[in-house]
Order: sequence, then C-alpha cells, then structure tokens
Amino acid sequence: MPFAQSLLESLGRDLPYLYGPLFLVFAATLMIWPGDLLVGRTNKRAWSYVAFLVLAAGGAMALYAPLGQGFSGMFRVDGLTKGFQFLSVLAGLITIVLSQPQLNALREQTVEYYALILFSTAGMMLLVGATDLVSMYFSLELMALCIYVLVAYLRHQERSVEAGMKYFMLGAFSSGILLYGISLLFAATGGLTTNLAELNEKLALATPNHTLLVFAGVLMVLVGFAFKVAAVPFHMWSPDAYEGAPTPITAFMSMAPKAAALGAFVRVFGTGFHGVSGEWMLPISFLAGASMVLGNVAALRQQSLKRLLAYSSIAHVGYMLLGVMSADAQAGGQAIWLYMLTYLLMQSGAFAILIHLQGKGEGERIDDFRGLARRRPVLAFAMLVCLLSLAGIPPLVGFFSKFYLFKLAIEQGHITLTVLALLTSAVAAFYYLNVVATMYFKEAPEGELKPMGSGLALILTVTCALILVGTLFGPKLLDWTAKITLG
Amino acid sequence: MLTNWINTHLLTFLTFAPILWGALLLCLPERQAYLAKLLGLLGTLGLAVVGFSLMLRLAPDPSGALFLEHQPWFTVVGLPVDYHLRLDGLNFWLILLTLFLVPLTLLGTWNSLKQRSGAATALFVMLEGTVLGALFAQDLLLFYLFWEAMLPPMFFLIGIWGGQDRKYAANKFMLYTLAGSLLWLVALLYVASHAGGFTPELMGQAVTAMPFGTQCLLFVAFAVAFAIKVPLFPLHTWLPDAHTEAPTAGSVILAGVLLKLGGYGLLRFAVPIFPQAALHYAQPLALLSVIAIIYGALVAMMQLDIKKLVAYSSVSHMGFVVLGIASFTVIGVQGAVFQMLNHGISTGALFLLVGMLYDRAHTRQIADFGGVAKRMPIFTFFFLVVTLSSIGLPLTNGFVGEFLILNGTYVSGFAWGRPMAVVASLGILFGAVYLLWMVKRVFWGPENAAEDSGTAHLHDDLNAREIAVMVPLVVLIFWMGLHHRTFTAHSEATVTKLLADIKAPSPRAVQVIPADAHPALHSDHGSSEEAH
Repeated sequence: MPFAQSLLESLGRDLPYLYGPLFLVFAATLMIWPGDLLVGRTNKRAWSYVAFLVLAAGGAMALYAPLGQGFSGMFRVDGLTKGFQFLSVLAGLITIVLSQPQLNALREQTVEYYALILFSTAGMMLLVGATDLVSMYFSLELMALCIYVLVAYLRHQERSVEAGMKYFMLGAFSSGILLYGISLLFAATGGLTTNLAELNEKLALATPNHTLLVFAGVLMVLVGFAFKVAAVPFHMWSPDAYEGAPTPITAFMSMAPKAAALGAFVRVFGTGFHGVSGEWMLPISFLAGASMVLGNVAALRQQSLKRLLAYSSIAHVGYMLLGVMSADAQAGGQAIWLYMLTYLLMQSGAFAILIHLQGKGEGERIDDFRGLARRRPVLAFAMLVCLLSLAGIPPLVGFFSKFYLFKLAIEQGHITLTVLALLTSAVAAFYYLNVVATMYFKEAPEGELKPMGSGLALILTVTCALILVGTLFGPKLLDWTAKITLG
Repeated sequence: MLTNWINTHLLTFLTFAPILWGALLLCLPERQAYLAKLLGLLGTLGLAVVGFSLMLRLAPDPSGALFLEHQPWFTVVGLPVDYHLRLDGLNFWLILLTLFLVPLTLLGTWNSLKQRSGAATALFVMLEGTVLGALFAQDLLLFYLFWEAMLPPMFFLIGIWGGQDRKYAANKFMLYTLAGSLLWLVALLYVASHAGGFTPELMGQAVTAMPFGTQCLLFVAFAVAFAIKVPLFPLHTWLPDAHTEAPTAGSVILAGVLLKLGGYGLLRFAVPIFPQAALHYAQPLALLSVIAIIYGALVAMMQLDIKKLVAYSSVSHMGFVVLGIASFTVIGVQGAVFQMLNHGISTGALFLLVGMLYDRAHTRQIADFGGVAKRMPIFTFFFLVVTLSSIGLPLTNGFVGEFLILNGTYVSGFAWGRPMAVVASLGILFGAVYLLWMVKRVFWGPENAAEDSGTAHLHDDLNAREIAVMVPLVVLIFWMGLHHRTFTAHSEATVTKLLADIKAPSPRAVQVIPADAHPALHSDHGSSEEAH
C-alpha cells in the first residue's frame, strides 16, 4: 500500500507543525463530549480551569513547534506564525479569566463557551501560519464562526442575539467576497495555484489582459480582510457587535481575532501580493486613513465605555495598517506584532476594570466612572495607566510601540498618513483623557463598590506593571520583536 | 558610597530622585497629608541644597559642558538612542531656578490646598524631576520623553485642585500641548530617520543636505511645539485658562518653570538643528512675539481678575523671550535667557502673592478690593516690589532682560529689527499701565466698604512663613537687576558659540548680516554699565 504509506509518512513529517492547534481542537471536542457528561450541573466552573490549562498547553506546543513548511505548502511555521499565535493564545487566556465574574453572576457557565474559545483560537493559530489562500480561508472561517456564536452567547439578552445576527450576516457576506476574490486570483494565475509564494511569482507575470482580474481579486481579498479587522468603511458591524456581545467576548474580539487577522494580512499582502503592491497600496492607505479618522472621531461622542473602546480599536487598526503598507513585510509584521502586544496589555487592563464595574452587565457608561479616584484610588490609577498608554503618552509602553510603528511608516515614505495618525492620536487623547477626567475630577456618587475578584486583580496588576515598566525593557522587547521573521 | 555616586551621576540623581520621591509620597495615605507635605518640602529643599552646592563648584570642560553623562541607551529601528544628560551655560540657571522655585512654592502655598494636599505635593515633586530631566536631556528622544512626561502631573494638578472650570482648563492644556508635540514627533522621526540618530549634531548635519523647503517645514513643526509651550501668539489661548484655573502652586510652577521649556527648546534644538530655516523665519517669529507683547499687554489691561491679568502679562513677557531669540545676536539671545529667569522669578512671585491674597479673601476680582495697603502693609510692600520688577524698572531684573532683548533686536541687522524694537518697547509702557492701574485699584483708594468684599476678609498681614518665601525672591530681583553678570556670564560662551555655528556656514541664509553691524559684544559691555 504505497499510497497509505506515503500518506502516513507525510503526516508524520508535517503533523508536528500543527500540534498546538490540533491539540486545542481535540481537547475542546473531548470537553464537550464526553467530558460534559461527567460533571454535574453545578460544577461548570471547573471547565474554566480545564480550558485555561488546555489553552496554555496548546500555546506552549505551538511555541515549541519546529520551524518549517508542511502540507504541500499550505502551512508554515516561522517567527511570524509563532509570534501571532502567542498573541492569540495570550488573548484567549486573558479572556477566560475575564469571563469569570460575569458568567458567574449571570449563571451562564457552560462548557460550550470555553470550547468555542478554544476552537476559535485554534482557527487563529492556523490562520497566521496559512501560506495558501485556501487554507487561509478555512482557518479564517473556523475562527469567525465560533466568534459569531460567542457574540450571541447571552441568548436571553436581546442585544446579544441581535449583535450576533448582525455580525454573522455581514461576516458571511464578506467571506463570500473574500472567497470570490480568491477564485479570481486563482483564475488569473491560469488555474494553477493558490499558494502565496507561487502566486506572487505568477501575479507579477500576469499578462495585461489579466491585470483587471488581478486587481479585482486583490481588492476583494482586501475587502475580506478589512472586514475581519474592522477597518473603515467595513467596520459597520463592529460597534454593535462589540456593544452587544458579553463584555469578555468584546475584549476577546478586540484582541485575538484582530491579532490573527493582522498577522495573516501581513503574510498574504506582504508575501503573496508583494509583487503587485502597486495595486493595493492606495486602497489600503485609504482604509488606514479613514479608520484613523472615523474611529477616533466617532469615539469622541460615545457615552458607553464599551463602544468607546470599540471605536478606538478601529482607530488602532488604522494605525496598524501602516505596518501592512510597509514594503518590507517582515519589518511591518514586527511593528504590528509589537503594537498588538502592547495593545493587548492595555486593552485587557481596561476591560478588567470595565468588567469589574459592570457587574452583571449594566454599568458601562463613562458616567459610572465618576469619582472612581476617590472611591477606589488603586483601581482608578490602574485605569489611568491603561488609558494613558492607549493614548500613547510616554513613557508608557503604548508610546513605545506607536513610536516604532510610526518610525517605520516614515521610513517607508508614508509621511502624510503618519501626520494624520499623529493628529488623530491627539483626538484619541481627548476621549481617553475625558474618561480620566471623569474618574479624577468629578464627585463620586453614593454607594459602595464590591471588592475585585482575584482573577481580574491579577490581570490588572500584571498588565499595569508591564505597561508602566515596559519601556524600560525596550531592548528586550525589541529582541523579541526581531524574532518575528517571515520564512 | 552614595555621595560618591551622586558626585559622578549628579544629573541622573537630580532628575530621578524627585520622580521616585514623588512616587513614594503619592503612596502615603490621605490622612498623612501633613507628613507628605513636610517630606515633599524637605526633599525638594535637600535636592536644591545638593544641586546648588555641587553645581556652583563645577568648572566647564573644554567642550563647554559643566557636567556630562553620556552613554548609549538602546537602539530602536536601527536608530541609536543615547542617554545623554548635559549641564552647560544654556541650562545652568534654568536648572537652578527650578531647584530654587519648587521648595519656595511648596512653602508659600503650605495651607492653600484644603483637600488631598499630600498628593498635590507629590505631583509637584514628580513634576520637578521631569522638568529637570527635560532641561538636562541632549538626545532628542530623551527630551521628548521628559517633555511629554511633564504633562500628566500638571494635568492632574489643574484638574483636581483647580477652580470652577478646572476640567475644561486641564483638558485644554493637555490637548493643546499634546497636539503640538505629536506634530513635532513626526518631524523628529523624519529627521532622525535621515540622520541615523537622535543627537542634535547628527540631525543638524542631515538637515543641511535636505532641500530648503523641507527644512522650513520641519522647522515649523519643531517651532510650533515649542511656541505652544512658550506660549507665542496665536498659540497662547490655553495659558490664561490653565493659569486661572490652576491652584497657586500650579500657576507658579507653570509660569516659573514649564513655560521656560519652550524658549529653551527653541534655543537648544530648533535653532541649532535648522539654522537656515530659523534665520529664514526670524521675521515671522519676531513679528509674532511683538504681537504677543502688545496683545498680551492690551488684554491684560482689560482683565477683572488679578490672576488672569498676571496670566496675560505672562504672554506679554514671554513674547520678549522669543523676540530675543529671533534677533540672532549674542546680546538678544543672552537677554532671552535672562528674561526666562526674570519671568520665572517675577511672575512666579506675583502668582504667589495673588495666591496669598486669595487664601485670605477668597476672591481675585479687582473690583472686590480697594485700600488693601492699609490692612496689609507688608504684603503691599512685596507686591509693589515684584510689580515694579515685572514692569521692568531699572535696578530690578525686568529692566536688564528687556533692555538686552530690545537692544539685540535693534542692532540685529535685520531690516525689521529697529521698527520692531520700537514697537516692542511700547509693551513695557503698557506693562506699567496695566500693572500699576491694577495696583492702584487694589491697594490704594478708599477701602472697599461692601460687607462681603475682598478687603473685608483681610484680617492679618503676611506671617513669618510667607515673608520667608518672599524675601529670597526680592533679594534675587535686586541681585539680578544690579549685577546681571552673575547670571549672564554662564551662558555667554554657549550662546556665542551657538550663534557662530548658526551664522558661519549659511550659503543660503536669506539675510546676511553686514560685517560692520556686529556690535553685539560692545553693546553687551555697554548695557552692563547701563544696568548698573
């Protein structure tokens, strides 16, 4: 049986690249069945611990996976893969911890919740390593489908279901566009390949008759990605989905899928479409500019902190698109990775406080932060650190990563966009400072605040400490960043 | 061991000791406010003693630096960032001014804040550290870090302890400054990526290779950031709000220390890095500063609130600083450096005095007062002396600074030099008008008879603590007025070298100064006699 033998051989050779995501998929499946049958109705909380350990183990496996390429060039493990896998797993771990207060308060602990997080994280881990448009599409869908469900997880709450529905409809639509784009590119290469490296060579050689095909294909893939990372004008779903989703899932959505999608964005456009960068540079620069402006300006008017963070995350994506525009995909990937890492710290810190103050899911208005500095000085200080870092004020670590990204953009000659980025950061500073001012300059309402749970407190302490001293370890951070290599 | 370390790392110590000390004080619980205030005062006092005793003993090394700490820090995106602190003639007195003013302010406003005064003290101490860091820093990225780090403490000082509109004022202050410095950051990154580093020398070299238009654009980005801090007309609008709303101590530090960073940044970085563009823009700069001088004075004249009046007088006085820099003569720039010290002492003292009045009367409206001189003779004496120094009466510091600047502008050799000097000197006249008119309405005339007027609340004159704060300031006012060489001697060599570097290799300089119009050194001599 030579066929079976060769199949086994190649599996034995290639599987180690996928141990991390595969482990997650298997473990999540086992958790649902038969695992869930074995625990009683009251013990559902235990699944959070199991899921946390499984995710950590899966992440470790991925981190120690061998470098190389497998599955006929469909998947590749390199520095970029590992770096963004690390970010996705970290975001997943943080989300599991952040979920506890709200799920306990609402008595909504189920195994499916955690299994979905694990599945989608597996999808992200595959996505960032995908070196073929088809494997990229599959992993993107695995990631997205789980998140649609997670957004609508609180099925008794109307806004959660509505958000999930909206997200799903638009997401399905954009997936269609993405897939159509892929098929056009497949046609443009003469129906030969969807592999990124080969695509790059073939696309550059496309005959004049095919340039329109290439342009349309690249543009459609761009639209698909822009939707996933919520770049303007394909962001329509995100404020509603962010607001309606359970808050921990909002945190998850603003961190993990964004990190993974941006990693894939860099890989696809930096390696696959590198040769035809003339086709997509201008559209991306418009996406980036529009995201910066609209994200920040729309965030100005928000009353709800959740929505504010949603719109500001659109703006942050706008900044990171500057990295995608870099002609040097590796440098761009490094800048985005660093930005995403610090963004993840700040965002999870801010969400930890939001979730704590929110209790069962109501108090998310900025007004609810009135006088927090008087009632809870430590908490207010932590929020201050996260917000100032999000605003990019030195010497906090948020400045450091912004600096790195903008420096790269200027070197690549995107000066107008960088000026725009910095001007809009001043706008961003306004709404972040507005929250700070509400916490520090306004009188506190009556009423006691309950103490913070240990999980949230731990996350908050660690993230704040890292944000505060992160810049001191700039050289160390840069060493890590240098490991985000392509190929 | 520690003293040894301080001796070799003086600048690092002066920068980070207050930052750490302030962070420590911030951790004290609210009920320990008295302890925090005491520790804050002692800490800054100790720092001033260490700073003064060490700095006054230093002798300059051949490169002109009195003290230097320089080592590579890290490399970001291929650009080396240096940890480069330096003490030389340009920042010497500004640093001593900062060291001197902070403990005085803390002592002078000891009882002004009723709530959470411990935290406010801690923020002041931290602010001092960041300001000193910015004054020492020679690497532009390091400077930028300190420059931005100055904002949050001030933001909170205005926002938490400020007056009615504190939130608005705090936001305006922060965003105005932030917007300016973010634009500046783009220019900084652009130059740095061409220069391959953040040191002014490398940047200066890289800039000479750029097209003139680019140079001008970059200079404008630098200058706007500094001009906002100065603040230069028309970018001054944050200042009256910030000053009026800030607590007394905040106003003193803002006027006395933070504004100086603007002029200092122009002189230290913007001008040496872009000499040609700076010369090209000398006229617009001078024009704007003359407008600031006149406009600030006219607006000050119309103010009903004493503090707001002093705030607008700040705009007017800082206009002189930029005018002096724009003259590009040794005497003018020396005057600008001197005027920065002046303004720190005089306006700082004025804000302190206004604060003392406010603490007693709980109002700052000029109309609420009248006949204060009868009730508070000692206070009136100090107020009058400080006012006269702010006007620029001969024998006081204000005269020397304004005289040097006007002289420098007059002899600058620029076509606009003479008319602008003439117009700017009107500013001094207006200064006399608005300050003396205010003094007349507040201190003289019949006592304000209304029951709840400000005067009615004035029961006791200055106490020993307040007198102890004012005496050193008054001594300095006269010392600077009578013997300005103590202060100008330090910066002379640095300024001369700076201007020589700017003017020497200028193939594209728009207006070349005629060889015979180089009276800078002579008239410097002349002016010193005049000032005696």
